[in-house]
Amino acid sequence: MSSRVVRIELNRVEGDLDFELTLQDRVVVDARCIGSLYRGFEQIMIGRKPMDALVITPRICGICGTAQLNAAVLALEQLANLQVPATALHIRNLCLMAETVQSDLRQSFLFFTADFCHSKYAGRPWYETAVSAFLPFKGWAHKGALEYSRQMVEIVALFGGQWPHSSYMLPGGVTSPASPRHVLNSLSILNKAIQWFETRIIATELDQWLAIQTNSEFFNWLDGKPGHSDSAIGLFTRIGRDIGLQRLGFGTPHMLSYGAYDHPEQGDKPSALRDRRYRAGFLNGDSGQILPFDQTKVSEHVRFSWFQPYSGGRHPFQGQTIPDYQPHTDRYTWCKAPRYQDNVVQTGPLADALIDGDPLITSFYQSEKGSAWLRQFARLRRTAKLLADMREILGELGKRSGSPHIIPPHSSEFPDGEGYGLVTAARGGLGHWLQVTDGLISRYQVVTPTAWNASPKDSEGRHGHWESSLLGLEIDNPDDPVEVGHIIRSHDPCLVCTVHMLDSDTRISIRP
Amino acid sequence: MKSLLWLQTGSCGGDTMSVLCADSPSLEELIDHFGIRILWQPSLSTESAASLERTIDAILADQLALDIFCVEGSIICGPNGSGMFDPYRGRAKMDWIRRLAEKAGVLVAIGTCAAFGGVHSAPPNPTDCLGLQFDKTTGGGLLADSWRSRLGLPVVNLAGCPTHPNTMTKTLAMLATGIPLELDHLNRPKLFFNTTVHQGCTRNEYHEYDVEDTSFGGNACMFFNLGCQGPMTMAVCNSELWNGRNSKTRAGVPCFGCTSPDFPLDRDLFLTEKIGPIPVNLPLGVERANYMAYKSLAHDAAPERVLNKKMDT
Ligand code: SF4
Ligand code: SF4
Repeated sequence: MSSRVVRIELNRVEGDLDFELTLQDRVVVDARCIGSLYRGFEQIMIGRKPMDALVITPRICGICGTAQLNAAVLALEQLANLQVPATALHIRNLCLMAETVQSDLRQSFLFFTADFCHSKYAGRPWYETAVSAFLPFKGWAHKGALEYSRQMVEIVALFGGQWPHSSYMLPGGVTSPASPRHVLNSLSILNKAIQWFETRIIATELDQWLAIQTNSEFFNWLDGKPGHSDSAIGLFTRIGRDIGLQRLGFGTPHMLSYGAYDHPEQGDKPSALRDRRYRAGFLNGDSGQILPFDQTKVSEHVRFSWFQPYSGGRHPFQGQTIPDYQPHTDRYTWCKAPRYQDNVVQTGPLADALIDGDPLITSFYQSEKGSAWLRQFARLRRTAKLLADMREILGELGKRSGSPHIIPPHSSEFPDGEGYGLVTAARGGLGHWLQVTDGLISRYQVVTPTAWNASPKDSEGRHGHWESSLLGLEIDNPDDPVEVGHIIRSHDPCLVCTVHMLDSDTRISIRP
Repeated sequence: MKSLLWLQTGSCGGDTMSVLCADSPSLEELIDHFGIRILWQPSLSTESAASLERTIDAILADQLALDIFCVEGSIICGPNGSGMFDPYRGRAKMDWIRRLAEKAGVLVAIGTCAAFGGVHSAPPNPTDCLGLQFDKTTGGGLLADSWRSRLGLPVVNLAGCPTHPNTMTKTLAMLATGIPLELDHLNRPKLFFNTTVHQGCTRNEYHEYDVEDTSFGGNACMFFNLGCQGPMTMAVCNSELWNGRNSKTRAGVPCFGCTSPDFPLDRDLFLTEKIGPIPVNLPLGVERANYMAYKSLAHDAAPERVLNKKMDT
């Protein structure tokens, strides 16, 4: 047996992501997922005014700034016990969905399917078709995704001024009303996107496609017409399954979802108690049971991270993040290891769909488990759902012209105390936990979706989700490991997301 | 054909996401019609990471010409000046940038981070980061003040957090086609940094007549109370709309001055600092002594429709 360690850096991911894989005869026997960039984001928050979180935290991530903004605003609203009018929640939901659709289209057709054009596959019968669809800047699916992802975020710009990086969700609501001009402009953008999605991506009308409930119905649909198998999703399915992605990259069976999109009529309740359009929960992969989600069960370990060690895990309200860069030890990353009730979990569209009970995804999961292919498929299934949801919300917003979009708080000062905001970003569960002391932020902990997935080993030595999704994989060419790319990209990695908030020292603030 | 290499340092990827939103010209057009050949872009390249290594080595060995070198993100110097909070191939990324810069026809700082340090350099600047040729408002970035690229230009600072999409693609198109680029005192291309955000804001009439909002969500101007820095900030946001649609100030979000070297300011970002009733920072070039008198006159002259904030945004 020959053993070697290879270091793999991934492109087409946001941020710096390396893997160190130990191979024995080309089979992965150990994996270390390395987030190599440290930005110290959370430390910047300490000592600032609470509202500043709405400007600083969206800059954690260029892809999911709207979700970061939403998490921050929910945490502030919980802290100050603020209500939100229904129109504002509709607008927030609409913009979150637009951002997710943008991200899912880019992830699928700019980042993921590009690998099908790899020269490794040049001999396969589908290769020419793959190239004509997925080749960067030339293939029709790549071009369409560029065009429509760009248009999708125009909807965010209509309500929020710009995308990326705006701060239009404020405590108590949003900054602009449901003007019929914005609503109609958004509808017009959405209609065109749906038309493209229906003709090129699923070759079927949205509602019919969403009505497919089981994997056998899906395969019948796929073989039903040549148009179906030549659609982007048809190609993705045929190619992905031909190269065996349905048998790869399972990772941990435990899944977590915070649920998504607050019920608009429940803006008078604290956000943690609102029903959501998509349900929250924890799927125990051993028992198959879906249990209610409870944020007190979240903890973070640092045993294998470059932070000053503490034993076991800590809840974000007790979190400690003091950088301690020790490159030549057994610690290997800037990611912490979040755990839920001491379980390694995965988060993202597959977890969301299973916990919400999507029948088609559940049917595949029951027969094949959560593979790299299913994870990516769940993402595209979600796009179809969100496009339909957005149509519904815009219909509702059209009727709400003139209704209040913000309830300005009585005071611009925030009380001392703590709050958290949990949302579903494109990559899964995102949480902000903040504490305010003497009117200033005294602690700010962010646990990003990628932190869950890219987690290193914890204090019990259990591998994180991506790491475990690679164990046992056989790699053809360790110098150009296409398989690793497929598996890791199916999780939509975003390493800029693994931010670190420090609460070790107080920031000195200069005030007039 | 002009070759383009795009690397990310300490960034959020927001400028890459922003450039994908460009529509006039779009990124695709740069490739199809403006003769730009992308050697590498971290989010878009399909080549293996090993091929990036070969590309970089070839540039450093003068076997491959590097015409346009784009750097997105803050230059991270921590811990203790080692740069190892942000390594590439076992070596600080700031060292790679320094060496590649020597080969570049032109070096473009993509975003306020690369230009001036940006959000990551906000106090206490936990990773000791800088811009390429500036450290916030002063020189003293990664490269010396006197540094010039192969074509004789200082670092071209495409400021913004993120940079406006069309500011990026238009500048790159100018560089690719040889249209001369005039820079301002902060080395930003004048063409895109010669108007204030305030010019073109739909709330301007409220500003003129001193009709000011005191809480968010309204129609009026946000200068006196809500922290808007539009009158002091140079950017195209209101003359070339974002995503072809809108701007922050039009949507009721104050301008935070993200194209300025001191972004983000180290104070309450949603409040206007004042001395007595007058903001500390006045619109560019305005005389403090006259400002109060002018404002109260203007308020008295305000038409009813403006006072009642009945205009639409
Ligand atoms: S300048 Fe702004 S958008 Fe660009 S990388 Fe920095 S924080 Fe992100
Ligand atoms: S809101 Fe800002 S940019 Fe708009 S008019 Fe007022 S000061 Fe100017």
